Amino acid sequence: MKLYLVDYSIIALYFLFVIGIGFLLKKKIKTGNDFLMSNRSIPLWITSLAFISANLGAQEVLGMAASGAKYGLYTAHFYWLGAAFAMVFLGIYMMPFYYGSRARSVPEYLKLRFDEKTRTFNALSFAVMTIFSSGISLYALAMLMQTILGWDFNVSIWLAAGIVLIYTYLGGLTSAVYNEVMQFFLIVLGIAPLVIIGMHKAGGLDGILHNVENSKLHLWKGMAHASTNPMGVDAFSLVFGLGFVLAFGYWCTDFLVVQRAMISRSQNEARRTPIIAAIPKIFMPLVVILPGIIILALQNQFTGFELPLNSSGQVDYNMTLPLLLSKLYPSGILGVGVTALIASFMSGMAGNVTAFNTVWTFDIYQAHIKKNGSEKHYLNVGRATTVIGILLSVATAYVARNFNSIMDLLQLVFSFVNAPLFATFFLGMFWKKTSSNGAFWGLISGTAAAAITHGLTTAEGKGGWIANLHEYYSGTSQAFNIAGIAFIACFLVTALVSSFTSRKPDEELRGLVYSLTPKQTDPAKRWYKNPLWLGVAVLILTLIINVVLY
Amino acid sequence: MNKLFDLRFVIGSFFFLVGLILFVYSFSEKGRNAVNHYGGLAFLLFGVVMILLTYKSSGKEE
Repeated sequence: MKLYLVDYSIIALYFLFVIGIGFLLKKKIKTGNDFLMSNRSIPLWITSLAFISANLGAQEVLGMAASGAKYGLYTAHFYWLGAAFAMVFLGIYMMPFYYGSRARSVPEYLKLRFDEKTRTFNALSFAVMTIFSSGISLYALAMLMQTILGWDFNVSIWLAAGIVLIYTYLGGLTSAVYNEVMQFFLIVLGIAPLVIIGMHKAGGLDGILHNVENSKLHLWKGMAHASTNPMGVDAFSLVFGLGFVLAFGYWCTDFLVVQRAMISRSQNEARRTPIIAAIPKIFMPLVVILPGIIILALQNQFTGFELPLNSSGQVDYNMTLPLLLSKLYPSGILGVGVTALIASFMSGMAGNVTAFNTVWTFDIYQAHIKKNGSEKHYLNVGRATTVIGILLSVATAYVARNFNSIMDLLQLVFSFVNAPLFATFFLGMFWKKTSSNGAFWGLISGTAAAAITHGLTTAEGKGGWIANLHEYYSGTSQAFNIAGIAFIACFLVTALVSSFTSRKPDEELRGLVYSLTPKQTDPAKRWYKNPLWLGVAVLILTLIINVVLY
Repeated sequence: MNKLFDLRFVIGSFFFLVGLILFVYSFSEKGRNAVNHYGGLAFLLFGVVMILLTYKSSGKEE
């Protein structure tokens, strides 16, 4: 892929604008609360788009196109089964507790609901995980730029890190959120023409239907057994592992995304944020998964669309989107496409760094190091944490380059920590008898159960480091089942320990637990201003899509 | 935090400029391509709409 002056001009213009947003916001940031929480002053349309954009990182843009090519339409379950239902649940049921409790972060909610040790466990694992994710995003960006454009690895790393540092250091969370919205439009509008051109070249919908194997053009067909669909997953693992545990765990408890709703201006807007975000999210497969299906149709009709092999000699599906960009985009709009890719990486990195900032400053520094500092002090700590967070991300990127297996291992360990988290929140919010000790030991047990299940099962040559008791049809299936088992273990141990240990008194749980919180009565008369009716509309739309594309 | 600037203006300006670059480039020898031409026009239009939305709601609190 070769870029020309016009392409570089568009990339430079984008860099100029993202940095400019940071400078425009600099003067508005006066306190730690402004810097780390945007003073809960962000309009609904911005929080909604930032909510999905925080998730629109490289894994989403490149990874979903790759999965589209590998698994076909089944990949859309991440949206039409996973995301949509979880986002509606967050808006209707969970957001009142997050927002209403005035917690500044998800770990802080855990402190209010349970105790300090549960909060610290969650805050520390989240802080390390965000830096790790940010570094991986940076590494992936540099590798991609090196592979497709021949850019120097070090230059890519420091340029991207430097730009993210400038705009997050100047404008904090607001700057990251504003840039995420701009990145959302850039990613959607930068890749949408690729889909249109690709569809046209592939012969439209007819061309897709005739040139892509039928097994990759369904959502539910063949899901009765793992061996009869390209994803290698059965319906139960899919619905329980992905649709319930993983999706609800990510969308309802991951502070990176939940934070975007928590900075809304009112509780009604905080509740509507994830539900409104679910609407564009439902249509995102058209931009991120469809390119993967288009390339399958093109491979059947033209030469030059074969995906390259990776170092292990296997098809490198991650090159789906870059290959389509290089083949279908002429110089000019190619600059927009490459900028969209860069934006997705930077969006992922900035989202992680700003979430790390908040958790580190409020849940670790303020909780354990300096409790009663001034607002100015926490602003300075937040800014210093930004610099440290970016430097740690850069260091992680270099570690990833040199010790890839260690990074795989770390990624695995963090997935074990995350898997049971939703059980803790679910019980904590909806069962007032859940005790602090129950939550803590439930989390530990769920994490251990995830690790043991991985050690006892294999898929695609991975896992089985204790013994090989069962082999899954795919790594995806293994991941869904590990999540399901971790959830069940956490749920049971939390309930069991809670039955024998003392819990917080009712008066301390008001506003934190469903049965002790006054029910939300939204005065909004228009249905789209009422989270419940808006959520119902989103779910009906999602169900229709599932039925039509069965 | 004081009143923030209108993000729609920033996004509109960006896409207006990108559209302009693509549209102008589409007339050059190398860029003679319908994708740049119509893509540029689409971006231009999107930019203008976003900027107009900013002015339409000016005076209201963001």
